[in-house]
Amino acid sequence: MSKIIAKLQVLSDAAKYDASCASSGSKRSNQNKGLGNAEGMGICHSYTEDGRCVSLLKILFTNHCIFDCAYCVSRRSNDVRRAAFTVEEVVDLTINFYRRNYIEGLFLSSGIFKNADYTMERLVRVARTLRQAHNFNGYIHLKAIPGASPELLHEAGLFADRLSVNIEIPSEQSLQKVAPEKNYPDIIKPMNYLAEEKEQYQEKKPAARKGPFFLPAGQSTQLIVGASPENDLQILHLADTLYKKQKLRRVYYSGYIPIATDNRVPQIKAPPLVRENRVYQADWLMRFYGFAVEEIVTPQNPDLDLEVDPKLSYALRNPEQFPVDINRDDYERILRVPGIGVKSAQKIVSSRQHQRLRFDHLQAIGVVVKRARYFIQCPGVPPASGEQQPKNIRTLILAQDAAKNPPQMSLFG
Amino acid sequence: MSVYLYDGSFEGLLSAIFQIFARKSLPVNIVDTNRHQPGFLDELHHVVTDETKAERVLRALEQNSDGRAAELVYKIFLSELPQIEMAIFRFIKTVMDHRQSSILGNYANPHIAEALRIEKMIGREIHRMHAFVRFQKSAEGIFYAAVNPDFNVLPLIGDHFAKRYADQPWVILDTVRHYALYYDQQTTSLIGTDHPILQQLKPESIDSEWRDDKEDLYQQLWVSYFHAVNIQERKNTKLHLRHMPRRYWRYLIEKKPFRRQNMTIYLLRSSSLRLMTVNQSNTMPEIALNRATR
Repeated sequence: MSKIIAKLQVLSDAAKYDASCASSGSKRSNQNKGLGNAEGMGICHSYTEDGRCVSLLKILFTNHCIFDCAYCVSRRSNDVRRAAFTVEEVVDLTINFYRRNYIEGLFLSSGIFKNADYTMERLVRVARTLRQAHNFNGYIHLKAIPGASPELLHEAGLFADRLSVNIEIPSEQSLQKVAPEKNYPDIIKPMNYLAEEKEQYQEKKPAARKGPFFLPAGQSTQLIVGASPENDLQILHLADTLYKKQKLRRVYYSGYIPIATDNRVPQIKAPPLVRENRVYQADWLMRFYGFAVEEIVTPQNPDLDLEVDPKLSYALRNPEQFPVDINRDDYERILRVPGIGVKSAQKIVSSRQHQRLRFDHLQAIGVVVKRARYFIQCPGVPPASGEQQPKNIRTLILAQDAAKNPPQMSLFG
Repeated sequence: MSVYLYDGSFEGLLSAIFQIFARKSLPVNIVDTNRHQPGFLDELHHVVTDETKAERVLRALEQNSDGRAAELVYKIFLSELPQIEMAIFRFIKTVMDHRQSSILGNYANPHIAEALRIEKMIGREIHRMHAFVRFQKSAEGIFYAAVNPDFNVLPLIGDHFAKRYADQPWVILDTVRHYALYYDQQTTSLIGTDHPILQQLKPESIDSEWRDDKEDLYQQLWVSYFHAVNIQERKNTKLHLRHMPRRYWRYLIEKKPFRRQNMTIYLLRSSSLRLMTVNQSNTMPEIALNRATR
């Protein structure tokens, strides 16, 4: 009994550096009075003291690994405790945590033991047992192991809601340096294969399909920020390509945590959390705010501004795009105003059908008016004090933020 | 000064509103009889709860809002906020005056905005219950949870849990309002604290007699997991507390202050774990571990 507790400690500790936490986006509903339901929004059941959400039982099958990637805590040259679960242990933990409403499902990753197929086969067996022997309809996220055979990847897609291959190092050149056994083609190949399989699956008639779903929540990956010299321009362009070409649902970014005492990676004191946060904000702008990557980072400004968020930064660089008329301009332009989020923009558009909106309405709607006021036009906007040059606005907003609180940091859901 | 007194039930409130509309009068206040404090010049109307009238109000709301407003009104009624009756009246009147569903999207209308703001608060509490319910398995195989929600949301969370836990009997007890939601693998119902199913369950007791043999093990595994996945280098207490306010910790296995003690008892009891040292700090017990089990 003590063994399982010890294993869980080792194999969850080793899995925690994977930032992926999503458990939504699937369409899997409870079938035949089984256990679990993954059709709705994902739920964060708990939050660790670092403020990150706990949604899935996130563990490695084993932390034994034949690879020696400098950034990874489980690399074979690292002197750490090693452990491995059995299929039954993982299934039992998942079911019992789920029944107690601790989790939304399982996120199973693994070190590579023996070879890719051997490892992938174990992961698939866990998912198959959960689905078939336990009628489990909760969320399952598996790692797709680069180099695993297409048959195994396909089977994984039939049982899992999401698969992910982590790229980790955002350029081929840097990857070669820190993870000599890995290369980009090996990582991209399973991504492309799974994207194609999913597309083919969707084109088939339901009767011709082998199972009810194929990766209903798609694929994701992770990029480490700050373990290699790539700038934000390179990172965001890579993410943009992954969203467009590989049809990924999510790219996660993980500020490099100096876990590895390995001279192939930089020795830093604290993880670059502010930069990580800015990259996430930029990613949000691409996915929900209709920004093109070229509008966020440019060859002249290849790195995101750490002092102000990328949306504000865009507005300050492009003063000719403002002010935006709250009562007349279209949704897409309203969405570009700093201080107006997706929900506020929708509320503005639905409310103004009924009446002309004034500045005090915006406050009630939830707009961060202290920020938005410099970029909008509507009755009641406080008159500009002093010259409203971008430089002045930047200083004003920074002063406001500093007065309010130390900078807030959130990891998004 | 018209004050309408109703019996505190949702149907009662809707009956009062029906009466107000029928008389075309404007109330000064609508008050739960049990909470009413008589005022000098009040002209009191004692409302008789009438389900048919209540239903007519709901139907009219549905028709004028593409089916959205009736549910919204029920939700915000469960907030139990002071003066919620008048907020509901003003909202219903606004919907009935406009008679088009798009009015629900007008955040610039103060009555609509007020109702939507309260609905959002309720929505958050529902979401927290979906997240923070922690079941403990009893010796009889019933999964039992206690909660202390800010608002009376138990009637709004049954479907979620019934869909998710279709194959296990479960109970969720509201320890503030003293009633429970019970699912017997067929239907979900609301039960009082005198219901026999609630007698054997002691959510806060360290005594584990009533629990399933393996319950303590899974709780310990969960607490152990919770601490293992934390990244020290990223510690952010403010964010942690924003997501998990202290008032919810009482029933969260992983945050319960007396878990330490509880776990110690468990560890001492389990003969295979005699070699463990249980430390007093907030970290997990150190466990001597065999390297490489494979």
